[in-house]
Amino acid sequence: MRKVPLAVIAFIVIAFAGWQVAELNAQAKPASKPLQLKVGDPAPEFTLLAFDGKDIKKVSLQDYRGKKNVALAFYVFAFTGG
Amino acid sequence: MKAFQENLKKLEAADTQVLGVSMDSPFANYEFAKQNGVTFPLLGDWNRQATRDYGLLEKRDIQGVPMELGRRATFLIDKSGKIVESQVDSDAVDPTKIVAACERKKMKD
Repeated sequence: MRKVPLAVIAFIVIAFAGWQVAELNAQAKPASKPLQLKVGDPAPEFTLLAFDGKDIKKVSLQDYRGKKNVALAFYVFAFTGG
Repeated sequence: MKAFQENLKKLEAADTQVLGVSMDSPFANYEFAKQNGVTFPLLGDWNRQATRDYGLLEKRDIQGVPMELGRRATFLIDKSGKIVESQVDSDAVDPTKIVAACERKKMKD
């Protein structure tokens, strides 16, 4: 029986291991799905409530039209870090 | 939200209002802001409409219990109401890209 060079066997083993690790990584961290809203799209209007310690106030995107840019930061839940 | 607070001066200098949004009640958000020294408004998306409209509401299954959870994302909206920059998921924790976009925008205005 012809001997397969050790280097070839080593290459196959390493390649297979690398592929397995890549598969595991893919399962552990699914690729981030792209956002539905794209740069250049009109931002959906909203009116939401904020509490300042005394009063509940309405805040709308419309309030800032022509006046200020708005950095709208959606976070998952209060008290969860980030 | 702490990362936005740390960059608040830069964002305000670039004519940008920071608004946080979550699906919590306005009262929970107020306590959260107080505990974390957040001085910009945190809005309570109680009926999830804004989260849905921005395409961030996802159906998930946690231990067999169906849930609708929000994705973390930041949108920079210009004065005409157009989205000019966005970040999503873990990228959205660090607002550096948003700050840079505001500062570029200011130079253009």
